[in-house]
Amino acid sequence: MIPALFAGIKDTWRKLRAWRRITFTSGGFVFTIGSFAVGFSAMNTGNNLLYLLLGSMLGFITVSGWLSEQTISGLHIERRIPSAVTVGQSMRLTYHVRNVKKRLPSLAVEIFEEGLPEGAFLTHVAAGTTVEARSTNSFVRRGIYPLGTVTLSTAFPFGMFLKQRDIHIAAEVVVCPRSDRSVRTPSPGGGRVPRLGVSSRGAAGTTGEYRSLRAYRARDDPRDIHWRSSARLREPVIREYERDGAETLWIYLNTRAEPTDAAEVAVEVAASMAARAVSEARPVALVAGDVVLEPGEGPSQLERILDVLARVDFSPTNAAPAPPVDPASCVLVCVEDGAGFGDVLAVGRNAKLHVEEAE
Amino acid sequence: MSLVLLHRRLAVSMGLTALVAFAGGAGFEPISAALAALALTTALFWHPDHALSTRMEKVLLPLAALLVARALMHVLVIQDDVVVPVVDLLLLLMAAEALRSLDAPNDVRLYTLSFALVLASTAYRPGIVFLIAFVAYIVLATLALMVGHLRREAESHNVRDLPISRRLVATTGALSGVILAVALVVFVGFPRVSQGWARQGEMLATSIAGFSDQISIGQFGSTILGNPQIVLRVEFPDGPPEDIGSLHWRGRSYDRFDGIRWSRSSNIPPSALPRFYSDRWSSELIEQRVFAAPLNVRVLFALHPAVSIEPENGIQPLFDNAGDHLYWGGGAPSYTAYSRIQPPGPDSLRVAEGYTPRAQHYARLPNDIDPRIAALADSLTAGLDNSYDQAVAIQRYLQTFEYTRDLPATARETTLDHFLFERRAGHCEYFSTAMAIMLRTIGIQTQNVTGFLGGQWSQFGDYLVVTQNEAHSWVEVWFPGYGWVMFDPTPPGAGGSSQLTSWFWPGSILFDGLQHRWSKWVLDYDVEDQAGIFARWSGLLSSRTTDTLDSPSEESTRSPVGVEILLLVLVAGIFWARRGGAEFTPATHAYLQLREACVRADIDITPGLTPLALVARVREQRATASRAAERVVDLYLRARYGHEMLGESELREMSEALGVARKTLRAKA
Repeated sequence: MIPALFAGIKDTWRKLRAWRRITFTSGGFVFTIGSFAVGFSAMNTGNNLLYLLLGSMLGFITVSGWLSEQTISGLHIERRIPSAVTVGQSMRLTYHVRNVKKRLPSLAVEIFEEGLPEGAFLTHVAAGTTVEARSTNSFVRRGIYPLGTVTLSTAFPFGMFLKQRDIHIAAEVVVCPRSDRSVRTPSPGGGRVPRLGVSSRGAAGTTGEYRSLRAYRARDDPRDIHWRSSARLREPVIREYERDGAETLWIYLNTRAEPTDAAEVAVEVAASMAARAVSEARPVALVAGDVVLEPGEGPSQLERILDVLARVDFSPTNAAPAPPVDPASCVLVCVEDGAGFGDVLAVGRNAKLHVEEAE
Repeated sequence: MSLVLLHRRLAVSMGLTALVAFAGGAGFEPISAALAALALTTALFWHPDHALSTRMEKVLLPLAALLVARALMHVLVIQDDVVVPVVDLLLLLMAAEALRSLDAPNDVRLYTLSFALVLASTAYRPGIVFLIAFVAYIVLATLALMVGHLRREAESHNVRDLPISRRLVATTGALSGVILAVALVVFVGFPRVSQGWARQGEMLATSIAGFSDQISIGQFGSTILGNPQIVLRVEFPDGPPEDIGSLHWRGRSYDRFDGIRWSRSSNIPPSALPRFYSDRWSSELIEQRVFAAPLNVRVLFALHPAVSIEPENGIQPLFDNAGDHLYWGGGAPSYTAYSRIQPPGPDSLRVAEGYTPRAQHYARLPNDIDPRIAALADSLTAGLDNSYDQAVAIQRYLQTFEYTRDLPATARETTLDHFLFERRAGHCEYFSTAMAIMLRTIGIQTQNVTGFLGGQWSQFGDYLVVTQNEAHSWVEVWFPGYGWVMFDPTPPGAGGSSQLTSWFWPGSILFDGLQHRWSKWVLDYDVEDQAGIFARWSGLLSSRTTDTLDSPSEESTRSPVGVEILLLVLVAGIFWARRGGAEFTPATHAYLQLREACVRADIDITPGLTPLALVARVREQRATASRAAERVVDLYLRARYGHEMLGESELREMSEALGVARKTLRAKA
């Protein structure tokens, strides 16, 4: 009973604090202390003019609180985020802010994201209008960054108190690893690749022997659309062709390692190899931990690879390398040396990220 | 106009209004005030570049150091009033800050200096000019703070052209009305309790020429100039007396005359206490609410005899043996006096008997008195056998003389005998002195009294204004059993007696009315006024309740105003707190409720968890609730990211799914 009561009080307090937070600015702190001092002097001396002065100072505080409340209320926000962003590159978050108040404009409002250092600034949102504001941030590590709380913050009108209001808009940002590292050209075993478990055929491609039909994906070449089948199935489908398996680059990222900088370097190496393969119009496949990405080519394949690499986790307890194809035809990317693969790119325990460049 | 320029002009204008506010109270050394005003006015239109600003700073810094040294010297060496050098320093600093280049981030310093000046002016007793300047200061401060904040925000975010519309400026200026309203509420409502923890502040007394602790007939060679300075404002709650021009506002009394000037003996025996008059004088009590200007003599003026004086602003009244009402305390006294001004009838006074003070004080004559004076008194009172008739006879005789403000031409002509036997003209002090001395020559005890005669009625404010022009002197004669009775031998023409008519042009009447209200309701506002206001409000609120009841007692009908106000504040506070969270769409609200239900069910919900990931977690950890949760999230995603407007049936479906999910999660937990 009592713990439930405490939990209820705590929950209510959390909600109240989440709705509005008020903190002093340095000027506001001095002003408030000054108000106390004037009030003390007024009571001490009985000087009525000091009471008048105290009243006006409290008036400033009251108006400040009321107007800042009006400034951050009645604002509806939509956040637009890029589909993916790369480590070190600027990520621009766009906010569409609509002032639904009937008369009062909102001035000097900052928009912050929880966990992101840079915010957006709204100079003026007239009543009934929508404006756009942007914030630019960059990430130094790949991964999935959840975006949840958008904070509206203002010290308007007098800069005495900072009033903040939280709005929950759930979303996530996929931060992909860098794919511009210089990596030596890998040389796995040649010839047709026998597949283990998944398929015994080579990668699907846009040239070569016809293999099957599949659903149209973004960035596929429209020339490959099979119109007759598309009409029958009432959705666009394209033809896939059998490619020469020797062309497919199988990248195996060993995630059985400590999540150190060296592991991140390994991820970047894998991403860079994939990017080069795509730029060479070569099919590429990825195995990262227990995730297997079928061979494919083109920017959409690179996007999928980077998405997988953005999410991959390293742990010493992860499963040992077990690629679905002959390891001899794979390139192993790992922190330390491995054996049994066609080629091994070990970054070494002391490999460093290009943090400076990223920043 | 750029934001920076507008901001600087507003901050400088704050300085100018602070200057006016201070001038309205304490005044200035004219040179420093004029220079500061010139510098501030210049700063409104001209701003030096950065290089010139730096050079000027190098010049002004040593000057400031000099003024600091001057202030320290006043404190440590001269031990004089430190206000003037400190204010001079403030003015110099304010001028220096105002004349800096526009890129100097000195707005806070300008605010602080101007505020310090306003604060300093409250230590005095400023007039209505302060109020006007104060209101202007609040308006300007509201605008300056707002524009200054926008300026800083724009600079920190590299925004170049931040729009400041006239409408915004006007709206912000109007907000100062709210600030002043709050100031008024705080001023009226803040409890006036616990004053004087460190002793009440001493107001600086202003000396008014013409009224002093001495009466002298020794001045010559000029004319007494008029002095319209107001010394008393008197309200009569029961209505003004009929003959305002004859009201004698008694101040100080004197017992010793040396031939030229009157003074007070230090060992005067007690004569008549106020209670004595209350018992022996039977006329109607006249209530006078007096707002006095501070004088160099701490006397409470009232109609004679004042039987009771109630202080209203922290002064402590005293009553001395001579019958004068004095006081302790600072500032301008305000008090309520009760007097019985109609003396006992002539028949009673003719047969007066009883205690008489010692003759060594009130019957003493100067050493070198002209024997003709006693002879004249004897001749005037021959055949009269009582003090009253004798006093009336001498009074009537003197009233045949001429009243004039022209002083005698030479020192020889300033004597009492020259007034009585040659010049036969003079001002009030000659008349009162002559009567007092003539009565003493025939053994009647008298004292000379100073104060004010009459006054001017202000129709604008329904109060009596007494100025220095009405300064007057008269005589009090001791009647055993009745005390001091007033006689005024000065012929008409002394003092002012313009009854119920305007006494100067209407603007001045209006201004003085405002000044009076300012003094009464602001400077002298105290706990009794406060209690009176609350009692009236309480009465207004309770009267409504009274009407609805049949025969309630007064106590039972009084509504609990404090409780009502408290409830009102509480409800407003709850409403204000609640309204902050009501901006989610129904779909978002339902989704957030689902999240909260998951948290309560101990499902691992991290802050950035996406909706689909949340469904996955529910599926993993509470499979029974996954289907309902999935439906809620599906509808939420359609509404939130698919920009679909959910219909009523879908919202209902969502609500039902949420209910199922919550119930399942709760049961599982």
